[in-house]
Amino acid sequence: MDQNNILEAQALTKVYEDGLCALDHVSFSVKAGEIFCLLGDNGAGKTTTINLFLGFLNPTEGTAIINGIDVTKDPLAAKQHVAYLSDVVMLYPNFTARQNLDFFARLGGRQNLKRDDYYNVLRQVGLQEKAFEQRLKGFSKGMRQKVGLAIAIVKEAPAIILDEPTSGLDPKAANEFLAILHQLRAQGRAILISTHDIFRAKEISDTVGIMSEGKLLAMKTRAELEHENLEKLYLDYIQGKVAA
Amino acid sequence: MLKILLEKELRDIIYSTKFAITFAAAAVLVLLSFYVGIRNYHESVREYEAAKATNAASIAAATDWRQVQNRVFRKPQPLEVLVNGVTNDVGRTTDMRASGELTLINSRFSADPLFAVFRFLDLNFVVIIVFSLFAILFGYDAINGEKESGTLKLVFSNKVSRASFIMGKLLGSVIALGVPLLVPLLIGCLMLLGLGVPMSGDEWIRLGLLIFAGLLSFGVFLTLSIMISAMVTRSSVSFLLSLVVWIFSVLIVPKGSVLLASQIASAPSMDAIESQKRKFTADQMTRRMAAMQQWFSSRSTGMDTSFVSKFATYQDSMTKSYEQERQDFYGRLNEDWRNKKDWQEQWAFGISRVSPTAVFQIAAMNLSGTDVGMKFRYLQELDRYQDSYAKFIQAKTGSMADYMRVVIRRFSSAQSDEDKQKTLNPSELPEFVVQPRPLGSTIAASLFDLGLLVVLNALFFGGAFIAFLRFDLR
Repeated sequence: MDQNNILEAQALTKVYEDGLCALDHVSFSVKAGEIFCLLGDNGAGKTTTINLFLGFLNPTEGTAIINGIDVTKDPLAAKQHVAYLSDVVMLYPNFTARQNLDFFARLGGRQNLKRDDYYNVLRQVGLQEKAFEQRLKGFSKGMRQKVGLAIAIVKEAPAIILDEPTSGLDPKAANEFLAILHQLRAQGRAILISTHDIFRAKEISDTVGIMSEGKLLAMKTRAELEHENLEKLYLDYIQGKVAA
Repeated sequence: MLKILLEKELRDIIYSTKFAITFAAAAVLVLLSFYVGIRNYHESVREYEAAKATNAASIAAATDWRQVQNRVFRKPQPLEVLVNGVTNDVGRTTDMRASGELTLINSRFSADPLFAVFRFLDLNFVVIIVFSLFAILFGYDAINGEKESGTLKLVFSNKVSRASFIMGKLLGSVIALGVPLLVPLLIGCLMLLGLGVPMSGDEWIRLGLLIFAGLLSFGVFLTLSIMISAMVTRSSVSFLLSLVVWIFSVLIVPKGSVLLASQIASAPSMDAIESQKRKFTADQMTRRMAAMQQWFSSRSTGMDTSFVSKFATYQDSMTKSYEQERQDFYGRLNEDWRNKKDWQEQWAFGISRVSPTAVFQIAAMNLSGTDVGMKFRYLQELDRYQDSYAKFIQAKTGSMADYMRVVIRRFSSAQSDEDKQKTLNPSELPEFVVQPRPLGSTIAASLFDLGLLVVLNALFFGGAFIAFLRFDLR
């Protein structure tokens, strides 16, 4: 096991009771200051991989490791080192942005933060000042996504897992979101993103993993993708034109 | 961790518009039920006092205790108006006689049939309908709603155990919803004090237990709906299931249990019993008339003083024996009917206890003294009073008065003006005082149902806990 790996999947396999193989010996790692994108269609196994990292599922085989901790063996300890942002970021609509942040920060172990600390994080993700103390009820998806990202940031975990973070965002909001991810990478966070957005995956990733039917078919680094058409490559892989 | 989750739950509920609207509606209805109850109580007391005064005036206008048509009235009790129970179905007035069976007439519903259709808004109604719906509205999506909004995964991406989350959810919901409901209930209690409802210490204790039972009933529906929410993935499905449970609990089980009990343990109808009594009375009257005729025909003397006196003595002895005969027959009939009815009621209550609503209702009626035994207890009080009334009448008239007594009076011009004007003093009558059911007996009668509500709370609390431990967080 490489000590620099913050997130590591070792032959992760998940077979459900009905025999469906949702994940088949998937292995990859994400280092500090690296963004890894899992690219694939619906049902490719991206969310299953994330669920295994977060301990929502137990693997049939293999291991998910966060900051050196085996998630299956000690899920609560492992979760101390990871922040998560779901594709559905409704949060608590009766709470203000700051109250949502406060609740999740305290859950994440950040007990003594002050109002200004929360405001700074909300500024960092680009939320308008006037929205800090507004209830989330009236927030757009983009605004809620920013609060969600603030929640992930405020935990100060070395790993961040994002499940379809840009789905449903308009182009401007998606670009703002990606800009923040660049900042987080620069801060040394290991970021795992699941997406089916080929263009943004290419734009932001250090490594792209192409998944289909529970298998990780290929992993391409940024350098390898420089001169490749990712869309064509992706389609070739999932249509079986290229051997995995 | 539990503290953070508990605090979040409290805030999440209290900050919501749903809470503001439902709490306001529940609070208004609670206060309204107290207000309507207090107003009804004062109105009933006024009617009671007026009826007593009219009765006293009619007695005062009479000159002979034999002519008196005395009536006794059921005194309104403060807790009756908060939990009506059977009180409005039971007659409030009784024609008091020195002998014969006493009946209750002039029930509230016979006087106001409209209320028999729509019933009064009482605290019992608010608890079983409004509180239970209030609980379901907040419980049905407590767990799966968080899953649908993505917050469940977000929470569990942190170092949070399932046990602490569900504990926070259950305790937070109970506190956030239960404590605010106490506020209008306590204001209602202050209204009782402020609006001059005379409550004894025992009645305050019973009211306290009644409120406790109401909150327990609310807790049952809350924990039950949270349990359903932890067993079903979609909130729309858990809402539907909770609603079905509510409909069964509030509407179907209580009514169905009565139907089922009447099939399992049949009891003759009141009409059949009355018919047997009428037949017996008619037969007794025929025999009595024949006996009197025989007594008259065996005596050929004129109606002198000694004849009247002998006739009175004969009638007294006959009255005594016929009354004893009637009492024995009616007693057997009533006891047999009561036993069958008790058995039927036990079945009905036993079956209805499947429903938490029915459990609360039984406890509430016992605590307020408006349970199905109320009429029977009141009739026992009337029977006791009838004995002292009979003694009083006998002392005043020198003979036993009864419903078919033949009174022979001699009219003569020699009757003095003083005799004619001598009216009766109603205050001489023994006072009809109903002894309140002892507190110990009231509590003992409701203890099983209060305990059952506690057990149901614990059961659904535990059920929700276990269901959530198996809940799919994805």
